[in-house]
Amino acid sequence: MPNVITNLSLNGRLAVVAFALGVLALFGGNPYKGAGASVNTKELSIKMATGADQVDAATLADWIIQGKADFRVVDLRPEAAYAEYHIPPAENIPVAGLVDAGLAHNEKIILYAEDGARAAQAWMLLTARGFKGVYILHGGLDAWKSDVLFPRVPGNATPAQLVEFAKTREVSKFFGGTPQALGDSSAAPQMAAMPKLALPTPKAGAAAPAKKKKKEGC
Amino acid sequence: MDAKPAQPYWNPYVAGIGLGLVLLASFVIMGRGLGASGAVASTITAGLNAVAPAHVAGNPAFAEYLKEGTSPLKDWLVFEVLGVFVGGFLSGMLAHRVTKTVEKGPNITVSRRLVFAFIGGVLMGVGAKLARGCTSGQALTGGALLNAGSWAFMLMVFAGAYGFAYFMRRQWQ
Amino acid sequence: MMAPFFKFGLFGENIGLVVAFLVGIGFGFFLERAGFNSARKLAAQFYFTDLTVFKVMFTAIVTAMLGVYWLSVLGVVDLSLVYLTPTFLVPQIVGGLVLGVGFVVGGYCPGTACVGIATGRIDAFVLFVGIFAGVWGFSELYPLVSGFYNATDMGQLTLPQVTGLPYGLLVFVVVLMALGGFYGAEWVEKKMAAGKKAEA
Repeated sequence: MPNVITNLSLNGRLAVVAFALGVLALFGGNPYKGAGASVNTKELSIKMATGADQVDAATLADWIIQGKADFRVVDLRPEAAYAEYHIPPAENIPVAGLVDAGLAHNEKIILYAEDGARAAQAWMLLTARGFKGVYILHGGLDAWKSDVLFPRVPGNATPAQLVEFAKTREVSKFFGGTPQALGDSSAAPQMAAMPKLALPTPKAGAAAPAKKKKKEGC
Repeated sequence: MDAKPAQPYWNPYVAGIGLGLVLLASFVIMGRGLGASGAVASTITAGLNAVAPAHVAGNPAFAEYLKEGTSPLKDWLVFEVLGVFVGGFLSGMLAHRVTKTVEKGPNITVSRRLVFAFIGGVLMGVGAKLARGCTSGQALTGGALLNAGSWAFMLMVFAGAYGFAYFMRRQWQ
Repeated sequence: MMAPFFKFGLFGENIGLVVAFLVGIGFGFFLERAGFNSARKLAAQFYFTDLTVFKVMFTAIVTAMLGVYWLSVLGVVDLSLVYLTPTFLVPQIVGGLVLGVGFVVGGYCPGTACVGIATGRIDAFVLFVGIFAGVWGFSELYPLVSGFYNATDMGQLTLPQVTGLPYGLLVFVVVLMALGGFYGAEWVEKKMAAGKKAEA
């Protein structure tokens, strides 16, 4: 008989615990907080098709030179690569930590990695999580090198191209790059020494090329 | 097999909590639930693959159990089911419940009972394949995760069993 | 947020297999403790004389559900990394019916048959052979039935998504249903036992 009583009370106690945890669950919220996301595929596909998801290297260079502060540049590469060189204002956030990195949903964020692919993946992650102003650096760091740090003009450049190159040269110097000499097409631009990591002080209006902007409208 | 009398089974709620905690441990450690029927498919695939690999490769129902560079038997569910045998045996031994016997009601012969057992097994194999899991993989695991398909499955298992119980009453009562 | 450990890469496939074996031992142990090595006890569920199947199953579901829910809410487990079998509604409904009929005909389900075999039940062994035959036969015929097998693919789908109700509310409802069910089960068992005594 005592056995029955302890049995019953054990069952009763278990029931109370289960009930309590169940009642508390009413106020516990959603356990799936975090990782899931839904995207507006239509909106995304239009963004991709129109190129509204990209910023080209020259534009980014202009922004930096002008001392704009309304955007963040995120370097997605591994720490070692980041330490070796990064675009001056960039911060290093590896992809795995990107979503939880504390970026604000309404910030203008420019992502880059070596080339476009990794940045495009990260772009998708952030966009899916509701970040509104995410952009990819068109062509990634490769484009930054060839367009900003080590620009070249083809040997048979037209006078107009030469004028343009004069401006580009200024930009390149600003970032500590080495503009390639005319006709010097044999040397790969990436071979030139990477600039030292020192953030150039933005001089508002000092750089001539600030006015020259996107030839292709991104 | 065992001279001592079999001990009574545990309080079902205590056993249930134990089962639930094992399932929870599987969620926490592995990120997956329990299963049983999947191991059968892996075993069959392994056997067939040794005899007729082309046949296995040509049928997606087998091919999905193939593993790159290793046997289909090197599978999570296969090892888990091996553990189930060991755990069941351990518990049975400790409680003196390991007996060579046939479970049946008093009004049915052993051979008929075994025929029914085989038919039941076939139905269960087909059902588990169709449902992508059995009582362990779907009802228990999916039930705890509030998986919609698992709950539909679980209700139908009870519906099917209760619905057909009348025709089987002579076997059990 | 470091659990599920395996999904966070804390150990590899091979350790995972060891975990599988240990988890299986626990699973088999408690199935046997509950009495699920006995087909008569299992089948009695469907004649209302012994509702252990229902009690054990729903206690396990409630325990694991509450556990995984609270561990997720407290940030220990990332529930989105716990595998959820995708829902294929119609094949799962039909599969459930077939398996349910098989349950009452055969007396075991696949997991409990293993425990039955481990404790010497010959009928469990025969049933397990039957499962092999069923799975094999189905797989051989798969090309013919693949259309039905893959019908009504609804992806990974949870009850909160289907009903639009908050997850926590459904947890509460399941707990409430289970506790009500347990109370009812005890009552039914007592009634049936009393009825039997009256007959005798």
